[in-house]
Amino acid sequence: MIRFDRVSKRYESGHDALTQVSFDIADEEMVFLTGHSGAGKSTLLKLIALIERPTRGSILVNDRNTAKIGRFRVPFYRREIGIVFQNNRLLMDRTVFDNVALPLVVSGCQHRELGRRVRAALDKVGLLKKERDYPITLSGGEQQRVGIARAVVNKPPLLVADEPTGNLDDALSTEIMDLLADFNHHGVTVLIATHDLRQVKRLGHRVLELHNGQLDYDGVPAA
Amino acid sequence: MHNYLLRHAQVFFYSLGQLARTPFASLMTVAVIGVALALPTGLYVLIDNMQRVSGGVDSSARISVFLKKTVDDARAEHWTGRVRKIPGVARAEYVPPKEALAEFKRLSGFGSAIDTLDNPLPGVVLVTPALTKTDTESLTALVERLKKSSEVELVQLDFEWVQRLNALLEITRRAATLLAVVLAASVLLIIGNTIRLAVYNRRDEIEVIKLIGGTGAFIRRPFLYSGALQGLFGALAAWLLIQLSLSVVAGPVADLALLYGSDFRVKGLDLRGSSSLLVAGALLGWLGSRVAVGRHLAEIEPS
Repeated sequence: MIRFDRVSKRYESGHDALTQVSFDIADEEMVFLTGHSGAGKSTLLKLIALIERPTRGSILVNDRNTAKIGRFRVPFYRREIGIVFQNNRLLMDRTVFDNVALPLVVSGCQHRELGRRVRAALDKVGLLKKERDYPITLSGGEQQRVGIARAVVNKPPLLVADEPTGNLDDALSTEIMDLLADFNHHGVTVLIATHDLRQVKRLGHRVLELHNGQLDYDGVPAA
Repeated sequence: MHNYLLRHAQVFFYSLGQLARTPFASLMTVAVIGVALALPTGLYVLIDNMQRVSGGVDSSARISVFLKKTVDDARAEHWTGRVRKIPGVARAEYVPPKEALAEFKRLSGFGSAIDTLDNPLPGVVLVTPALTKTDTESLTALVERLKKSSEVELVQLDFEWVQRLNALLEITRRAATLLAVVLAASVLLIIGNTIRLAVYNRRDEIEVIKLIGGTGAFIRRPFLYSGALQGLFGALAAWLLIQLSLSVVAGPVADLALLYGSDFRVKGLDLRGSSSLLVAGALLGWLGSRVAVGRHLAEIEPS
């Protein structure tokens, strides 16, 4: 699903965020991306979402070379990736339903189909009853679940999460991680950037660890 | 296709809702645009009405040719016949001194007092040119030609004030066009600025939409609708402003026209003028918004 081949990213400021990073993530795999803050986790996710472009090396996502995706094709590429953000990035002036529906509206989904899929996604994260509420009235964990519903409503083959439990307590973190793992069980490739080592250990999936922009560890840690 | 139209309709009502959500700010923008559009449009309406006034007198534009006292009726009739054959002359009619005096007697109210006098009036030939009011050159040539005749004492063109009015109207028309251009530019700037603020206020939303795969066209659409709607409402405000002003002056103008024996009525914007105004407003709004969104959207990239 994702292949990094000797990828380096140097920002215009001269800062080397990633140096010669190579790895492969298979279809339907679930992988944790860890590392200290500033290790390059965010940069790596930005390269996958084409928010940034690599300075060197090539990135294949879903068998496609991302370097060949032009500016005007980027929106269509992003529709195949569900992204979950640390601060959930919900639109506070729209209802839960409208927030989750946004990716479908953006891609021009049929009206009848839209309602069905939004409710299916909300049902999956257990928030079907809150569809008319505004995100501001929800708890932090619920907001993050709305964010996840929005990321999966399009049924993307790849789900990328950037510190999805960064602002949550342990119980809520477990809940969110289990939810993401559940999507993985249903065939979605999941990549989660996190420094929540408790969760990483608990779930026991493959870990990629970055250290100062270099891949330091790649494997499944012993329990 | 149906889906496409549905989506546009949704964005249309969404934009309308956004404007309604900040009624005061929207109203201010619409009012400013309304005033900016009302000025040149009002001037055009004024010119249009003035033209109808001068157009009304046009047909009565006549050349009065006063003959010398020495010319008798027979010679005058003969000369009038020659004038009729000049190209550019529609009609020529000889009024002998006797008739002129009779008319003067009837109109002046001096009555029989005039009978005691020798007739002081000369014979007059009333020439109606077959020329349009704008063809001043041919008109002047005709006047010059008539003046050269040995029978003629004086040629009077009852036309000069129309000419002057037309010249004045031409100046006003150009001024109105200039004003229209300047104010159209200001409408572009007003809408551009409003949309620029709207884009910055919704930075987060734009970033999120970009991240979940919204195209540039999708992001632009609500702003374009918003700009076009504000332009349209501004034009509507301008229309109301003009019709209201006209209804205020309509009464006095009708009274004045009546004093001159005319049934002249102030004419407002007709269907064509009104629709042109509304379309122009919407187009200006769309264009101003398009420029602003194009400039500022590229600056907002998710990070």
